[in-house]
Amino acid sequence: MSTSANSTSQVHAVHAHGKIKKQITIAVAGNPNSGKSTLINAIAGTRLHVGNWAGVTVGKKSAFFEYEGTSITIADLPGTYSLSPYSQEEIIARDYLVHEKPDVIIDVVDATNLERNLYLTTQIMELGIPVVLALNIYDEAENKGFKIDFAKMAGILGIKVVRTIATRKTGLDDLMRAAIACAENPAAHAPKRLNYGGDIEASAKILEDHLRQDHPSVAAAMPPRWLALKLMEGDTHVLEKTGLDESGLLGKTLRHLRAAHGEDIESIMADARYAQAAGLTREVLKKPDIRKLELTEKIDKIALNRFLGIPIFLAAMWLVFKLAFDVSAPFSDWIDGVRSGPLTRWAGVLLNALHAPAWLGSLAIDGVLSGAGFVLVFVPVISLIMFLITFLEGSGYMARAAFVMDRLMHSIGLHGKSFIPMLLGFGCNVPAIYATRVLESERDKKLTAFLIPLMSCGARLPVYVVFIGTFFAANSGTALWSMYVLGIVIAILIGLLLKATMFKKEAPVFIMELPPYRMPTGRDLMIHTWQKTKHFVVKAGTVILAMSVLVWFLLNIPWGVQNKKDSLMGRMGQDAAPVLEPAGFGNWQAASSLMAGVMAKEIVVGTMAEIYAPKKEEKKDAPSFAEDLKGIGTSFIQAVKEAGSNVFGGLGIKSLSSSESPEEKAGHAPLRHALLGAFTPLQAYAFMAFVLLYWPCLITAIAMKQEFGSWKIYGQAVLIHSALAWTVAVLIFQGGKFLGLG
Amino acid sequence: MKLSALKCGQKGRITKMDGAGPLKRRLMDMGVLVGEEVKMEKVAPLGDPLEVTIKSYKLSLRKKEADGILVEVVA
Ligand SMILES: Nc1nc2c(ncn2[C@@H]2O[C@H](COP(=O)(O)OP(=O)(O)OP(=O)(O)O)[C@@H](O)[C@H]2O)c(=O)[nH]1
Ligand SMILES: [Mg+2]
Repeated sequence: MSTSANSTSQVHAVHAHGKIKKQITIAVAGNPNSGKSTLINAIAGTRLHVGNWAGVTVGKKSAFFEYEGTSITIADLPGTYSLSPYSQEEIIARDYLVHEKPDVIIDVVDATNLERNLYLTTQIMELGIPVVLALNIYDEAENKGFKIDFAKMAGILGIKVVRTIATRKTGLDDLMRAAIACAENPAAHAPKRLNYGGDIEASAKILEDHLRQDHPSVAAAMPPRWLALKLMEGDTHVLEKTGLDESGLLGKTLRHLRAAHGEDIESIMADARYAQAAGLTREVLKKPDIRKLELTEKIDKIALNRFLGIPIFLAAMWLVFKLAFDVSAPFSDWIDGVRSGPLTRWAGVLLNALHAPAWLGSLAIDGVLSGAGFVLVFVPVISLIMFLITFLEGSGYMARAAFVMDRLMHSIGLHGKSFIPMLLGFGCNVPAIYATRVLESERDKKLTAFLIPLMSCGARLPVYVVFIGTFFAANSGTALWSMYVLGIVIAILIGLLLKATMFKKEAPVFIMELPPYRMPTGRDLMIHTWQKTKHFVVKAGTVILAMSVLVWFLLNIPWGVQNKKDSLMGRMGQDAAPVLEPAGFGNWQAASSLMAGVMAKEIVVGTMAEIYAPKKEEKKDAPSFAEDLKGIGTSFIQAVKEAGSNVFGGLGIKSLSSSESPEEKAGHAPLRHALLGAFTPLQAYAFMAFVLLYWPCLITAIAMKQEFGSWKIYGQAVLIHSALAWTVAVLIFQGGKFLGLG
Repeated sequence: MKLSALKCGQKGRITKMDGAGPLKRRLMDMGVLVGEEVKMEKVAPLGDPLEVTIKSYKLSLRKKEADGILVEVVA
C-alpha cells in the first residue's frame, strides 16, 4: 500500500500466479470536507492529510491496494463544489475525471448537507462513468435526527448508495463491493439521466446531435451530453479543449436559450441543477420538526462573539505557544545537555582510544556533534507545534481564526488564514513555514512565507539577551519588547510594499465554509505530527550537518591557525566589515559572527564568544560512563517533571522571558566585558535589529524549499531581508547619531 | 436591500445577484441563488467578514462580495 502520483486507467486482467487478477481504478470525488481523504485512509491504510476545513487536499494522490482479489488504484481528488473549472483544485479534479476515465467514481456526500452535495452529484452523473454514492458522516446526520431514505435515493438516481462513517470505518466493505461490481459491469450501472426541463433538454439535444454528426472525434472522447451541457454553461475550458467555438449552430442554440430566459445561461443551469438536488432532498430527507441549537452554534456564540472573538482567539494562540514552548523547552535543554555533556565526553574518550589526531577530534565534536545538536534541539518544539496545529485544524477552529482575523490581514493583502503561521513564527520560523500549508493560494503562501522571518523567533533571543543584558539592563523589558514590535511594524510595511509590487494580483476573495466543530481522531493527530517531524529531522539533519562542518573548516583554515582573525572566516569577516560600517558595527568580529549565524541565529552568540573571549580548557573530574548514563536518565525525568509543571504552573511564555540562569550569566561574563569595549549602546541596538532582520536561517530555508519545491523563494527572501536589515540598521545608527545618541 | 445590510438573526430572500465571472459562479455553485433564503448569523469582531446560513450550512464572505447580493427581508 503506497501512495504515488501514477495511475492506471482501464480495467484489464493480468495473470498473477496463474490466476486471472482484476485491476480497477476508482476516483474519489465530492464536496470539500466531505471526508474523502478520511475514507481512503480507512480503506487503503494510507496517510493522507485530513483536516476539518474545506480545501485540505490540493493535488491528486493515488494509492494502490488489493481488495478481495482485485487490484485497486484509488485516487483522492481535491474537493469541489462543482465541475466548472475555476480554481486550480477544481481543474485537477475535473481533468482527472474527464480525461483519465476511472472505472468507477465514488462520490462522497456529506449526509448533513445533502442538497449542496447532490448539486455536484448531478454533474458527476453526466460523465458517462458508473457512480457509487457514499453517504458519509452518517453519524452526525443521525445525531441531528435526520432520516434519509437511501434506498429511494438509489432508485431515483439509478446509482448505488451506501451509508458510511469514514472515521469509524463503517460501511466500507459495502462500499468497496458496490464499486467493484459497478466497474465490472459498467453498462448495467449507468446513472440515470436527470431531466432539466423543456428548454434546456431541447437545446442539449440539438447540441448533442450536432456534436455527434459534425465532430465525431470530440463526441467519442467525451460524453456528448456532458459536453453539450458544459457548452451551454459557457465553459471556456471545454471550448478550448475541443476546439469548438460559438459560431454556427452552437451560437444559434445558445442565443435561443438566452432570448427565451433573458438571464445568463450559467444561472439557468445552476438553477436547474439545484432544482434537481432540492427536489431529491425533499423526497428522501426527513428532518426533525424542532431544531435544537447545536453544539457548534453554542460554541460559536462565544468564540465568534463581537467582543469576545478576538480575546478568545488571542488566548487560544497564547495557549498554543505556551504549550509548545514550555513543554518542549525542558526536552530541548535535555537534548542539548546530553550532547554537550556525556556525548561529547564519550566522543572524546573514543577518539582518544583510537589515537585520532586533534583536528579530527575538534571536527567531530565542534563540527559534527554540535551541528547535529542544533537540529535535534528543534525536534521537541516542531513536533509539539505540528501536533497542536493538527489539533486546531481537525477541530474546525482554524476556519474561525481565519474569520476573526481576516479584516486585519486583508489590509496587508493577505487572507485571514495567514495569521496562524505568522503567529507561530514568534516561536520558531520553521514550523511557521510549514503551517503556510493552511493557505489555499500559492500567492498567499509565498507572501506569508516572506513575512514570517520578520517575526522574531526564539533563536534570536540569546542574541538579545546578551546585548540587552550588557547595554540596556535598566530597561531590559522595553528593549526586548521593542525588538518584537520592530519586526511586526516592518512586516506590515513590507506586506504593503510587496502587495503593491511583487504580489500585485488581487488577493483571492474570502468565501469559506465554516464546518461544524469535531474532535480530531487520534490517528490523524499522530500521523501528521510524526510525518512532519520525520521530514524535518531527515532533511535538516543532512544540510545542517554539512554546514556545521563547513563553518568549522572556515574557522580552522589555514591549517593550525592560532588567531581566529587569520582564519578564512576571520578574513571573510574582514572583507565584509566595510559594508557594515554605516550601520555602526563594521568590525571583523561582528561580520564573522553574522556569517556563521546564517546557519541558525543562536550561533551568532556562540561565535562571538569564541572570537572575543576564547574559553580556556578547564579540567574537571570527568564522570564515569555509568554516572553519565544515570545523569541522562535523571535529567530526562527532571525534564518531564519540568514540562508538566510548566503547563500547569507559571504564567507567561517561558522562552520569551529575558531571564538568564546564573550559570549562563557567569558563562557570558567575559563576552560581556569584551562587548562593552567593542560596541556603544547605539551600535548594539543597530546590531540587534540587524540580527532580527537579516538572512532567514538555513533551517527556514529547508522548510521553504520543502513547501515551495524550489530554492527560489528562499533566494528572494535572502535578498529582501538582507537589504532590509542593512537599511534599518543604518537608519537606526545614523539616525541615532544625528539625534546625538551615539 | 443588500445582503450585507441584514441585521444579525434577520432572514432574507435573494432577489438579484450582481457581477459575473468566477466569483458569481463560485457563489452559485455553493447554493447562493436567486430565490434562496439566507439568514444573517454574525459579523466578525472587526466588522468584516460576515457569516450567513444558506442551504443549512454556514458560509462566510466579505462585505464587498455580499454587497453584490440583493435580498428582500422575510418575516
Ligand atoms: N463524524 C464524522 N466525521 C467525519 C467522517 N468522515 C470524515 N470526517 C471528518 O470530516 C473532516 C474532513 O475530512 P477530510 O477527509 O479531510 O475531508 P476531504 O473530503 O478530504 O476534504 P478536502 O480535502 O478539503 O476536500 C475531518 O475532520 C474528518 O475527521 C464521518 O464519517 N463522520
Ligand atoms: Mg482531502
